[in-house]
Formats: sequence, structure tokens, C-alpha cells
Amino acid sequence: MLLLGIDVGGTHTDAVALGPKGIEAQVKVATNHDDLLSSIKSALSEIVQNTDASSIKQLNLSTTLSTNAIVEGRFEDVGVIVSAGPGLDPHSFMLCKDFHVIPGSLDHRGSETKQLNNLSLEEAISSCRKSGVKVYAAVTKFSPRNPAHEKEMELAIGDNADFITLGHQITGRLNFPRRIATAFYNCAVWRVFNKFADAISGTLEEMGLGHIKVNILKADGGTMPLPLSRKVPVQSIFSGPAASVMGIIALCKITHDSIIYDIGGTTTDIAIFVGGTPLIEQEGINIGSHPTLVRALKVHSIGVGGDSAISILEGIVRVGPTRVGPSIAFGGEIPTLTDALIWKDSCDCGNIGKSKAGFAAFASKIDMEPDELADKAIENAIDKIHDSTRELVEEINQQPVYTIHELLENRRIIPRKIYIMGGPAKAMKMDIFRKFRLSTEVPENYDVANAIGAALTRTTTEIELFADTERGVMFIPSLGYRENVPRTYNLEAAEKDAMNHLLAHLGEMRVAADGDNALITASSSFNMVNGSTTVGRNIRVKCQIKPGVVRTYS
Amino acid sequence: MLKAENSLGIIFFPAYDWAISPTHPEREERLLYTQDQLREEGLFDIEGIREYKPEVAETEDIERVHFCFPEAEAIATRSHYISTGGAIKAAELVMQGERDRAFALVRPPGHHAMKTVLGSRGFCAINVEAIMCEHIREKYGQKRIAIIDTDCHHGDGTQDVYWHDPDTLFISMHQDGRTIYPGTGFPKDAGGPKALGRNINIPLPPGTSDAGFMMVMERIVMPILEDFKPDLIINSAGQDNHFTDPITNMNFSAQGYAALTKMLKPDIAVLEGGYAIQGALPYVNLGISLALAGVDYSHVCEPGWNPETLKESDEIMKYIATLCESIPNIYFNPPAKSNEGIINGDWSVRHRNIFYDTEGFTESQTESLLLCNECRGLLKVQTQKENGPMGFGIEIPIGACDKCRNTGYSILEEAQVKSKYRYMQMINRREKEYMRYGF
Ligand SMILES: [Zn+2]
Ligand SMILES: [Zn+2]
Repeated sequence: MLLLGIDVGGTHTDAVALGPKGIEAQVKVATNHDDLLSSIKSALSEIVQNTDASSIKQLNLSTTLSTNAIVEGRFEDVGVIVSAGPGLDPHSFMLCKDFHVIPGSLDHRGSETKQLNNLSLEEAISSCRKSGVKVYAAVTKFSPRNPAHEKEMELAIGDNADFITLGHQITGRLNFPRRIATAFYNCAVWRVFNKFADAISGTLEEMGLGHIKVNILKADGGTMPLPLSRKVPVQSIFSGPAASVMGIIALCKITHDSIIYDIGGTTTDIAIFVGGTPLIEQEGINIGSHPTLVRALKVHSIGVGGDSAISILEGIVRVGPTRVGPSIAFGGEIPTLTDALIWKDSCDCGNIGKSKAGFAAFASKIDMEPDELADKAIENAIDKIHDSTRELVEEINQQPVYTIHELLENRRIIPRKIYIMGGPAKAMKMDIFRKFRLSTEVPENYDVANAIGAALTRTTTEIELFADTERGVMFIPSLGYRENVPRTYNLEAAEKDAMNHLLAHLGEMRVAADGDNALITASSSFNMVNGSTTVGRNIRVKCQIKPGVVRTYS
Repeated sequence: MLKAENSLGIIFFPAYDWAISPTHPEREERLLYTQDQLREEGLFDIEGIREYKPEVAETEDIERVHFCFPEAEAIATRSHYISTGGAIKAAELVMQGERDRAFALVRPPGHHAMKTVLGSRGFCAINVEAIMCEHIREKYGQKRIAIIDTDCHHGDGTQDVYWHDPDTLFISMHQDGRTIYPGTGFPKDAGGPKALGRNINIPLPPGTSDAGFMMVMERIVMPILEDFKPDLIINSAGQDNHFTDPITNMNFSAQGYAALTKMLKPDIAVLEGGYAIQGALPYVNLGISLALAGVDYSHVCEPGWNPETLKESDEIMKYIATLCESIPNIYFNPPAKSNEGIINGDWSVRHRNIFYDTEGFTESQTESLLLCNECRGLLKVQTQKENGPMGFGIEIPIGACDKCRNTGYSILEEAQVKSKYRYMQMINRREKEYMRYGF
């Protein structure tokens, strides 16, 4: 039984086929930026040639499709219809021209404090229709407490839309501006993503792989089934770094607080593990300048990589953040970090002779010994990595907590181990070790860790349950599930309900529900008091299938 | 993208696992909806606004300010150590230049805690702002500090802590003490003999709304601040002047609080009271945060807000106008003599009975200030909780002269020899020595 993983990256597309004992086939092809499908096709066909196609069970795919579409502005116009009520001026969050604010409001408990203005809603929709909009995002403030106004909007938009994203369907977490941006991007890439999904299904059919299950990677280190991803394509953005992190989990037995480096051509990605678990971004990642609610592993990128150019400014040797073409070893003209590593005989790649000659010539031009230049360049790169890591750990340790118990417990992250992957990983291992004085490991197969991570990662999902027993309601926004509950409804019942709905949701996605990986991540119940009487409970429960891999090879 | 004009640090600590009692106004739920509102607004995504974790205050921070009997740990719970630590964190952010301004959105509050504390009063056990201010002075040197208390209740604790301090200007605007707890806070209380005109009380009539508060700001608070020229402005940002607050009778709004904050420009704001936890706090806290950061707050208002029906009557405005005529005089032409204390030799002595409403007992206290021409003067306090053991405190103030310092130590020695007191505490701000005796 084989599991396939494909990671479409900026330069390369990596693919692996994994059997019970390890890698059965691996491929690296150049990514054709304008035709991602062709890159996937050629990687796939090579894998299929080297394996038994009938034993392939699943394909997990990490693709830059949505990311590229967003970054390059290749997406369609979206009608964004919002309703805010008191607070910040909603026009501050206007991210496209078809942006309409409808009077109406809900408060923090989900009570309607002002009816949605239907006339204004009709006008907004007709204006969108006139500008030819076919996809809509409808988002109201506090919709995770009560989706009523978003549903009214959905009803009013009706047939005008090929696709509608309602804010509360994205997540039950609160953050109105992020919810607007997330819903917007989800609509913006919906069509292009669905065309791609069609093409992938067609291609697999052609190759005789119609029977396999396809999952799309998400930025949180989990996957979602292809049919589901068609409705939430925004969740597929920035999955690349997560694939690499999950690869490390499959390849190494991580138990301590650890630092993970993925040193690429232009950037180094830094991730932090607490115990054996990768850290998740508190709220969600930024797309362009817009923060979103897309859950992601906490990965910090800095502008230092193998192809980062070496420069001298006021006598100080610097590496990056600009990338000026490839390294001399690969036909470039300006020496890079990789060329410095080649000079020190730490790295064996490309045209060694040409690299060394070019490096020495550059050094003599600036009146420096090539040895000194190489040392200083490597030192500068490592210093940058070191300083950014310290800042990141400090930032995480500063993260707010809200109970006395948590504050006094004061769990601080103290990294004990470093794992490095990516092109220059081996070459920089000793230098990194000398700087940090922490056990440093470069896993075997580190160059395809991303594809391995993609192949092995599990389907993840999270839900938030919110109940207000005074109003007698329980609501799980992302599932659109709402139920009346008695006044006796309590935290225990809520936790049970949350877990059951989580597992049932997995079942609907045709994922074997594994109770062991489901866990409650936050759970609280507050007595609501009016005067001196307790009138009900305000209950919040969050649970998730935690990110992880289905097997390990360590 | 929204951007803050002033970088702002918010220390949000709702103490979700602490309450005075399950249905007490000071309970777990108090900041729950505020948190929901701030999260939903995306406040912490605004460029320049960042959330921080509180520190935990040290016992020395508390014992630098208060005479605590039997001891600090017995009076302040973990939650007090953290809310005070939250204010200290706010101060550090500003003093170290990491943030232009800071807001300690923490509970429990502190402005009813006096110089000597034997227990909790008015939901407060230790004085959060005073502990923060003295932490600042201890670490960053002597500063002129103005504390503006905008809680609906008279900040009697802060008044008491700074009664003898000429370098701290305390202004409290509150609902008239004849109509509400703690029943104090009148203009005649202008400060102790060495700090006359440094304690300004502004008792406002029930029903005061935005226009009344702003008149007080423009005609009393701002002119005095302009003259006092503080190094730091602290706002005790209580929110119980709100028109929906269940335990007060004022008509102030979120818009009003934000406008007041915009005018006051405090370096550090610290949450005090405010018990309309659903209808007021989410909006008032948002308004104050935005005003501190210099972000547009014009859309922040309560769902039921109607400025017309909340407006003060002409009578109320006239009355406030008369206050605005007379009160600035207390600062600009302070009375020659303090209204409290009788002269006994070199000492100015006050006998007082102080009621601790939260715990239901009365303290009898004798406070004496050594009248000195060289410095602020040595302070000693003798205290007894209803038939309980006696406590004794001595404070050698910042900038104390040699004579006051030496007198302080000889009085302490004498008291030890006599062994009349079960507990004794020495606060020596001059040499930063803090000692306690007894058990
Ligand atoms: Zn109050
Ligand atoms: Zn003196």
C-alpha cells in the first residue's frame, strides 16, 4: 500500500511514494510556474512508472496554486457584503471595490441589536450584479455567536452567486476584520481552485489512478479531502512550509522543545516545537498585508538562504536579504552563501572550480582574504538566523494568558535540539551547532522531507462550540450546527457534544475517525449573573484533530 | 490597514479563575465580553497595538507602599499580585520606551486600598496604581506624577496613600459622596500639611453625563495639569460612571470616556471599577483603547445609547459650572492648613476609624507626621483591627533628611524594646530598606 506526497514549491516539485518500509520512489522536477498541473503530471507519471499503480491508496498534494493566484492578483472580483454595528469603522477593512456595509448589528452574545436593513442589502446586491460579480462574501460582526444576518444575506444574494462564503462557516473564532479577509480570499480563488481540482481528478483518471483518495495540504500541517477543499480553497494557501515541518516529524523522533530550520534558496523558515508538537499561529496567517483566520503552523521566514548574495556595506560582510540570481557554482556572477560554503569545503554542489575562482576574484576585488570573507559571510548568516530565533522564542514566551493558573505555571519554551533541512542543511550544520551549542541533527532524506511530510500528514479539523444557557442555544459555527439546549446544559455535556460533532464531521469527510487524535484545546464555563442571581452559563469549547503523521521512519 | 498614532501596549488579564464570591460584581465573568469585543474588533491586529502578559508583583513592591498587617501575603491573593504586576508591566513598557502608552486591563481593582491595609475594602485589597507609581520611582528615580481617577467612586485609597506627598497630584472625579460609597471625597480634603493643594476632589451630582465630565476636564483637570507639569499622567480608569452601571447613578458613555481619554492623554491607564459587564465594559474599554492609541473611535457606542435622553439637566450643568469656578483654587491657592490632623508638639496627628466593607470590620488608626522643615517628614502609623493585635508602621520618605531618618530608626528601636506591637513594619525609601517584624 503506497502513499504519495507531492509538494509543488517555487522552484522544484518534489514527489515521493512511501511504502511501509520507507521511500519506494522519489522525483524532483522543475516547477513550471505557469502550468502547475504539468509539473504535477510529470512528477506523478515518473512515480507511477517506478511503482505498482494499483497499490497506491492516497495522494496528498501541497500546491502553491491559491497562493500564487493571490500574490499575483489573478483572481476574480468578489462582492463583499458586511454588517458591523458599533466598533471600528467597517470601511477600514474595505479590501476591494465591491464592498458594501449594510446597517444592522448583533452584540457579543449574539443578540440582535439592530435589524439588517433589507433595502440597503438589495441595493448592494444590485450594485454587485451590475459590476458583474459572481462570487460573494457575506460577513457580519459576531456571526460566530449568531449567523442570522449572514443567512439573511445568503438568502437575498440567492441565484446572483455561483458561490457564497458566509463568515461563520470559516471558523468559530472571533475576529471580524480577519473573517472578512478570509471570506474574501476564499471567494477570490474559488473558481481557479475548482478548475484545478477538476483537472487533477481528470489527470488521475487518465493515468488509471481514479481510485485513489486525494487530499489537499493546509498551512496547519494537516490535510482536507479534495471535495471539501473545493468549498474552502483559502485553506490551501501557504501549505509548503507546513509540509516540510511535518516531514521532520516523520523523519525524526522529536520529544523536546526544538527549533526546525528549513534553509532554502531565498529564505530560511524557522519553526518551533514545544515538546513534540509544532506550534500553531495564534490567530492565522497574513495574506499580503491582510491578517486572516487561516490556521497555520507558526513558521517565521527570514531573508537568508543558499542563494542570498554576499555584499559589503561599511566594512561589514552581509548575506541577503536580496537574492541576485543563482550562486556562481550554478552559473551566477555574484557570490552567495552557497559559494562561501563551497570555498570552506563544507558544500559539494554545482561547478566547484568556477565557484571557488569567482569567490576568490570577488574577495581580492574588495581587498579581503577569501577565507576571511567566507567565514564572515557564514557568520553573518548564522547570526541572523540566531537572532531571529531568539526573538521568535521570546515572542512566543510573551504570549498572553488569561488565568492565574496559567500565568503562575509559566511554561517557557527552552529549545534543546535543532533540526535542519533544505539544500545547505548539511553544509551549515557544524556552524549552527557552534553558535547555539545545542544538539543539531540533519535527518536523512532531508531534501525530500517536504514531500514525505505531505504524504504522511493526517486530515485535521477544528471546531468551536459556543453555548448560552440563558438564551437556551448551543452553536457550532463552522458546521452551521445549532441546537436548543436546556438550562441544565453544562461544560461536561458541551465537551462531549463538541467531540461527537468533530468525529461525525470527519466521518462525513470519509476519514476514519480516530478518537485518539481528537483533543479539547480550550474549555471554559462562566456563570452569567444578573443582579445577584445566576441566570445561565456561557460555555466555550474548542476541539481539534491535532496535526500529525500517519507513520514515522525514525 | 489601521495604524495607531501612539504605540499602545495592552496588558489584558481577566483572571478567569478568580472571584470575590460566585455572584459578586467582581467575578470571573467581568471581562469576558470585553475580551470578546476586543477580539472581534481585531484590536490587536492594528499596527502599533500589542497585547502583553502581566508580570507578578513582588512582595517588596507591595511593602514599599503599604503597611500590611499581619503581612502582604495574608491580604493580597495571587490575583492581586498579578493585577498589580499587570500595572507594573504597563509602567515598564512605557518607561523603557517600548510603547508610547499602556493600558492595564486587569482585575481586581485597587483604588480603595489605603496606606495601611488590614483587609479588603470596596473590592480592593492593595492599591494597584500606587504600587505601580512607587515601583517607577524606585527604579527610574523621583518623578512628578499625576493620578487622575475617573472611577465613579471616590478614590479614597489613593487619596490616603498620597495624602502627604507633594510630588503626587491626585485628582478624583466621582459621584458625590453624599449619594454613594464610600461617602467621602469632598473639596475640603486638599491634602496633608506638607502636600496642600495636591489632593483635588471633584464630587459630581448623580446624572452627570458627557457634557458635565468634559466641562470638568476642560475647566479643572487640564489647567491644573498644565501648571503641575507631571512627568507621568496615570488614569485610574474606572468605568462605573456608565449610564448602565448597576451600582451607580451617572450617565457617562463610551463616547464620553473615549473623549476624556483623548483629552487627558494618560501615559498609563489602569482599569478600576465598572460592573455593567455586558452593556458598558466592552464598548468603554474599546473606546479607551482606541483613544489611547489615537485611532478613530467615532463608531464606538453602546447599542442602546441615546445622547439626548442621557443629557444632564440645565440645573446639573449650572451646579457643575460652580464647582468649576471654585475647585481650581484648591490647587492654585491651597488652604493654609490641612482640614485633618491636630498639632501635637512636632507631630500632626489623625485618629481615624476605617470600615472594611468587603470583610465587615473596623480598624482604629492613629497616623502621625513629623513636621519637618527639611523634608516631607517621617510618618508613623499605629493600627488595631477590632480588639485584635496592634500593628506599627514607620515610613522614612523619599528625600528624607538625616534627622527624620534617624528619628525613624530610634522610634523603631524603642517600639521593639517596649514590645507593645504584635507586628511592625519599616519602609525606608531613602535607603530602600524594607523590614517587617512580628508574626
Ligand atoms: Zn468604582
Ligand atoms: Zn525631615
